[in-house]
Amino acid sequence: MEGLGDKVTVLLEELASKPVFPGGLSTYMLFLLVAFVLTLTFFVVASRKVSLVPKGIGNVAEMGIEFVRDSMLVDVIGPEGKQYLPFVGTIFFFVLFNNLLGLIPGFKPGTGTMGTTVTWAIMVFIVYNAIGIKRHGAWGYLKSFWPKGVAAPLAAFVALLEIISHFIRPLTLSIRLFANMFAGHVILGIFGIFTVMLWNASLAGKAIALLPLAMQIIMYAFEVFVAFIQAYVFAILTTVYINGAVHAGDH
Amino acid sequence: MIGSLSVLGAGLAFGLGAIGPALGIGMIGGKTIESMARQPEMAGRLQTTMFIALALAEAIALLGFVLAFVLMGVK
Repeated sequence: MEGLGDKVTVLLEELASKPVFPGGLSTYMLFLLVAFVLTLTFFVVASRKVSLVPKGIGNVAEMGIEFVRDSMLVDVIGPEGKQYLPFVGTIFFFVLFNNLLGLIPGFKPGTGTMGTTVTWAIMVFIVYNAIGIKRHGAWGYLKSFWPKGVAAPLAAFVALLEIISHFIRPLTLSIRLFANMFAGHVILGIFGIFTVMLWNASLAGKAIALLPLAMQIIMYAFEVFVAFIQAYVFAILTTVYINGAVHAGDH
Repeated sequence: MIGSLSVLGAGLAFGLGAIGPALGIGMIGGKTIESMARQPEMAGRLQTTMFIALALAEAIALLGFVLAFVLMGVK
């Protein structure tokens, strides 16, 4: 297996962001733009003919939006959660379209780079804290970090832990999405490298090469599943954070 | 020498770091199935909570994954 390390290095360089046009547009920015246009087109086409009984693409869009509204927002936050549908819904569908775009051979997911996911996670952080401050006032929201009915030294410690955990949230939220998409592509690439190397190695290798090929097909199916799950997880964690801000202080 | 040691460190960081989250994810999944079998009417709520808990456990494994890439870059 000589040269495997070199091929993996080439694979990782292939996944790095490179400038596409002079003037700053990089690979991942280009695919973010493609996903943005796709998402926009999908919803414009879906909402063009609104009828009481939706069919075709409109039906798919309605199912998706009802899923976000009912099984995420209403289940977690309660009936008042419906007002956050524009924000959480946009996040869910934009992440989903980005993840799915990366599964087309030759394409890369816009979410497969730290720059994108860190930006979104910081955006979520700002939005849920703003919701908390808007509902409880700056002082009221800050006071909700201080647990009631506990001795002061312990309460201070708990408040410190709470504040630290709030600042870790954008970090884990961004790393989770990025690492899932990135790792998925590296795994698919590595099984591809195995297949080609075994196929070129010897006659017996041609038979063994079917194993990594089969594994690659299975992993591809798994990656489709991961694309949905990660969009769901990003959106549901956003919902949970918003819920924490809306109901700050009642626990 | 440092290069090959850092690759070894990267492998260990991810391999050892994945043990805990793997056990955690198994427990979360198993317990959710147990609870769903006991109270099927709660299945929807349980599933939502399960995904949140899974995501939190998974993040720890992924921190090891990112650390492994950082270590591989050490020359």
